[in-house]
Amino acid sequence: MMSDRVAGLMGQLIAVAIALAIGAVIILAVNESPLRVLVTLIDGAFGNPERIAGTLLQMTPILICGIAACISLRGGLFNIGIEGQLFIGGFAATWVGFSFALPPLVHVLFGLAFAALAGMLWIAVPAFFRARFNTNEVVSTILANYVAILLTSYLTINVFKRPGGQPDTPAILESAYLPQIFSFSRLNWGLFIGVALAIGAYLFFTRTARGYAVTEMGANPKFAEYGGIDIKRQTFVLLLVSGAVGGLAGGIESLGVHHRFMEGFAPGFGFDGVIAALLANGSPIGTIVTALFFGALRNGSLLLEVDTTASREIITVIQALIILAVSAQILVRRRASDSTAGERRWKF
Amino acid sequence: MSLAIELKSITKRFGSFVANEDVSLAVERGRIHAIIGENGAGKTTLMNVLFGLLQPDEGEIFIDGEKKVLPNPAAAIAAGIGMVHQHFKLVPSLTVAENVFLGMEIRKGGLIDHKAQIARTAELSQKFGLRVDPGERVGLLSVGIEQRIEILKVLARGARTIILDEPTAVLTPQESRELFQTLRGFVAQGMTVLFISHHLEEVMEVSDTVTVLRHGKEVATRPTAELTKADLVQMMVGRAVSFDRRPRGPVTGKPVLEVSDLWARDERGLQALKGVSFQVRAGEIVGIAGVAGNGQTELAEVLSGLRPASHGTIMLAGQAIQNRSARAIRHAGVAHVPGDRLVRGVDRGASVAQNILMGRQDQSPWSRFGVIDRTYLNEQTKRLISRFDIRTRSPETPVKSLSGGNIQKVVLAREFSGDAGFLLVDQPTRGVDIGATEAIHSEIMRQREAGKAILLISVQLDELIALADRILVMFAGRIMGDLPGEGVSEEAIGLLMAGVESAPAEVA
Amino acid sequence: MEVLERLFNAALIVAMLRTTAPILLVALGGSFTTKAGIFNIGLEGQMLLGAFFAVIGTIVSGSPWIGVLCGVAAALVLAYIFALLVVTFRANEVVVGLALNILASGMTISLMKAIFGTRGSIFGHGLVGLPIIRLPFAKDLGWFGQIISGYTPLVYVAFLAVPVLIIFYKRSRLGLYIRVVGEKPEAAEALGISIARIRYTASLICGVLAGLAGAHLSLGYTTMFTENMSSGRGFMAVAILIFSNGDPLKLLAGCLLFGFSDALSLRMQTTLGVSSYIILAVPYLVALAALFALSYRSRPRLIQETLATMGRALSVKPNGASGS
Repeated sequence: MMSDRVAGLMGQLIAVAIALAIGAVIILAVNESPLRVLVTLIDGAFGNPERIAGTLLQMTPILICGIAACISLRGGLFNIGIEGQLFIGGFAATWVGFSFALPPLVHVLFGLAFAALAGMLWIAVPAFFRARFNTNEVVSTILANYVAILLTSYLTINVFKRPGGQPDTPAILESAYLPQIFSFSRLNWGLFIGVALAIGAYLFFTRTARGYAVTEMGANPKFAEYGGIDIKRQTFVLLLVSGAVGGLAGGIESLGVHHRFMEGFAPGFGFDGVIAALLANGSPIGTIVTALFFGALRNGSLLLEVDTTASREIITVIQALIILAVSAQILVRRRASDSTAGERRWKF
Repeated sequence: MSLAIELKSITKRFGSFVANEDVSLAVERGRIHAIIGENGAGKTTLMNVLFGLLQPDEGEIFIDGEKKVLPNPAAAIAAGIGMVHQHFKLVPSLTVAENVFLGMEIRKGGLIDHKAQIARTAELSQKFGLRVDPGERVGLLSVGIEQRIEILKVLARGARTIILDEPTAVLTPQESRELFQTLRGFVAQGMTVLFISHHLEEVMEVSDTVTVLRHGKEVATRPTAELTKADLVQMMVGRAVSFDRRPRGPVTGKPVLEVSDLWARDERGLQALKGVSFQVRAGEIVGIAGVAGNGQTELAEVLSGLRPASHGTIMLAGQAIQNRSARAIRHAGVAHVPGDRLVRGVDRGASVAQNILMGRQDQSPWSRFGVIDRTYLNEQTKRLISRFDIRTRSPETPVKSLSGGNIQKVVLAREFSGDAGFLLVDQPTRGVDIGATEAIHSEIMRQREAGKAILLISVQLDELIALADRILVMFAGRIMGDLPGEGVSEEAIGLLMAGVESAPAEVA
Repeated sequence: MEVLERLFNAALIVAMLRTTAPILLVALGGSFTTKAGIFNIGLEGQMLLGAFFAVIGTIVSGSPWIGVLCGVAAALVLAYIFALLVVTFRANEVVVGLALNILASGMTISLMKAIFGTRGSIFGHGLVGLPIIRLPFAKDLGWFGQIISGYTPLVYVAFLAVPVLIIFYKRSRLGLYIRVVGEKPEAAEALGISIARIRYTASLICGVLAGLAGAHLSLGYTTMFTENMSSGRGFMAVAILIFSNGDPLKLLAGCLLFGFSDALSLRMQTTLGVSSYIILAVPYLVALAALFALSYRSRPRLIQETLATMGRALSVKPNGASGS
């Protein structure tokens, strides 16, 4: 059993290596030295304490979005709408942050709760139709992303725009600030919340009756149904929880980092989270590692854009390649485990 | 006497498992040649080798006296061999003619000529006496007609030797008889039929020659007329099995399950149950017989809460449970051994322990305050593994690495270890070897002795006759008759299974 | 009244057909994969890559036609990778599709920066669009002529592809095999039809059409490339494919609905002054509404069931009375 896991991990690492090699070729193709890109990335991600804090800062929303993705994946569902929930949650928390005057801790909690609630509401309709009528949640949540981004932009610019030139909302009150960890970085308590969520999700799935029910629904929904698990209700609730965590990620980003909401708020974190969760094979603990990896890539890419001619989007290319390589290596694993059709394993 | 097919010393291995070992087979032209054996005896593997679906590791194939290598089904078809698979491979949204000519379309100017295909299908159907409407969509047709289409497909490809894999498994006795007649028509026209079955009756009825396979080896090939059923059983299993009726005391318990006027629909929205009523008493095994697809699956699903009833009542110990959730029905005291155990009965990727947990994960002492007691689960799993003699390395072993019989024992262990008063047992020994079947039958009898009310759904009549106190026969969503298990004949059940309005005694 | 007249006229239909064409092209491409039983969420990326390379090809060669070929070739490469991973390696199609979309997005932006040193969009650099086709006989047809003439060539390709596809699925061997592979793969396998080959073929044809859709976006619909310019059209196409099941006619109807809502909302922006953010959200909302409304279809069976039960309950007495 242990050797299975080791073999799986090895496969994953080999796939990552292959993806990085292809990435290197692509970097060569855009006239840049792969070695220089790599060195710059590592330097940008871990070169000094500020940069390490920056990496953890980038990691935080990826981790929380990744946990949101893990939650839905575990039940065999794809919530690809985390990006949208992040935006909606971010806006909701900001609104609480600048509209109310509350005592410090209460204000933060209220803002985060509202962000989670907003994320939950944002996925509620797709979740309902998925649960009740089996409407493909992949497409509905992706389409909802576009609406979420446009809606928050509309609210920011047409309704709540701060006087002055910038397309952003008024700043939140200081009572709503999520405390920062170091004086030199915007890194904040959100990281701890993310790690706690990961551990909580892990314990939930492996130790509790409800977690067992969700896992079995993901592994073999007919078996779960037969065992008396209410698939429709559980699907609905699971997607709501996943959406709530996605919204929470946005709340943490606005209360901990930006302290306001603006156009292009936290772009791509939702998708990165989904990818991090997939790369970790849906394991919440594994997602901590993959989110750190992607956070480092992201943070390193900031320096990349300054120091080299490469664009920082090159890292999304690398991320995509990693996922493709990992999804392909299943062939080897499949043969080993001789899995047959008929089961709905979401794992790739 | 010329040979249509001759297989010489065929050996086929899958990894370390030997599916066919040194099997030789000589099939004379113009004969119906049956190949019988238990599940897993290697019948289907051998036929797949002959049809080019599998490559033999050793051995030679001769067709019409000529040595052939069959790398794929196309080569087998070119050599005049056709195969009708056990599971039909028809496309529901296409017409009969489109299905018959799929893969060899008649084309005019590059486009498919639907008219010509319909005409040719009608012609074939006429010639071989297989009635079909060529323009009809296959999705709307019955299983018996689908089989005719499969046979037409083979004929349209010019087959002179037809292999039929378990052709009667899905047919009523009447449809089977019609099929046999068609097959005799084929051999009368000089064709050859290879017929795979494990139904002794049919083999005796229709075949000219029988080859018996056991554990991948050929045991004997004899003219059917020289054999008795007992001989065949002896050869198939290597020892005489007592599928005799299990001894038992009289049923004295009170009714536990009372079903009255139950109606339900299938996936397509058609009535699958049409007013079913019966009761099961404590310490009684009530058997449900019938050809697959006559409402048994739907009945099991409605009773276990997996399918809504559109009308009628189900009372369990005086409590109405129809249209309650699967969970509520489980809690009310229904245990369910599902017919499709690999789909419904287990999570193949999960461990034995995880499979034992299903349905009770939120009950004390399995879990407390929503947290699973893993020590308790492990202990109980170990206890059930020894109690039900499940051959597994540990409670942590994934179920998919167990054999079919042991997977079924995992399901039985879970379902029979609760305190349910009513056990719904659907096809308990399908695809299970003889040894495990015996064990499963004994376990069901033990549950009867323990005073459980048991509904046993099976397509195997010998199983029902061995175990049931009463046998209800289902046909087209209705119960056609209620027969005593004691002293009933397969013939009497068969007549009811075919929907023949019952024997005079029933009219009363 | 006046407002309505300004909103609804022949020009609106023209605008509708223009906005329909790109999504129709990509949806028709997706029809092949849908019919072959592949859930292709990667249409978006194929379209985007097609749009980008169509522009590159045009700038390099000076001919928009060569540009179209480049766009199609690029989309084909992506379609091939999709098929390789999904068909040969049996990877999860949602995961692969999403990854390819992300790849296309990141790659186009990276390449844009590497080649042009800019972000945002590419225009100028000698970029020319596809010519507009004026049908010679259209002038004599009055308003109808106005509607059918004056589009770039790929608009005509998109609409003419619909009847071609209908015949393709009904009468051609490949069309039949694609349907069989999607509906009943075992049947195809038993007849020696290679499932993998058919799925590859379907994926590649899909890539051609998605590439054309992209090329149309950057050389016909507009004459420029913008970051992520496919802006979810590939996903909307997937939504349409889900509820049309890939049938060309239903697909056309779905795409026209989008084209219409798109064209109408653009006009409302100019005539009524609604915020552009709200206007831009309309197509996505229409896609979502259509997806939800049409999945509500499984409703009728429930209603049937209820009616049947009630019917039986009501008819019990007459039956009893007639004495059976």
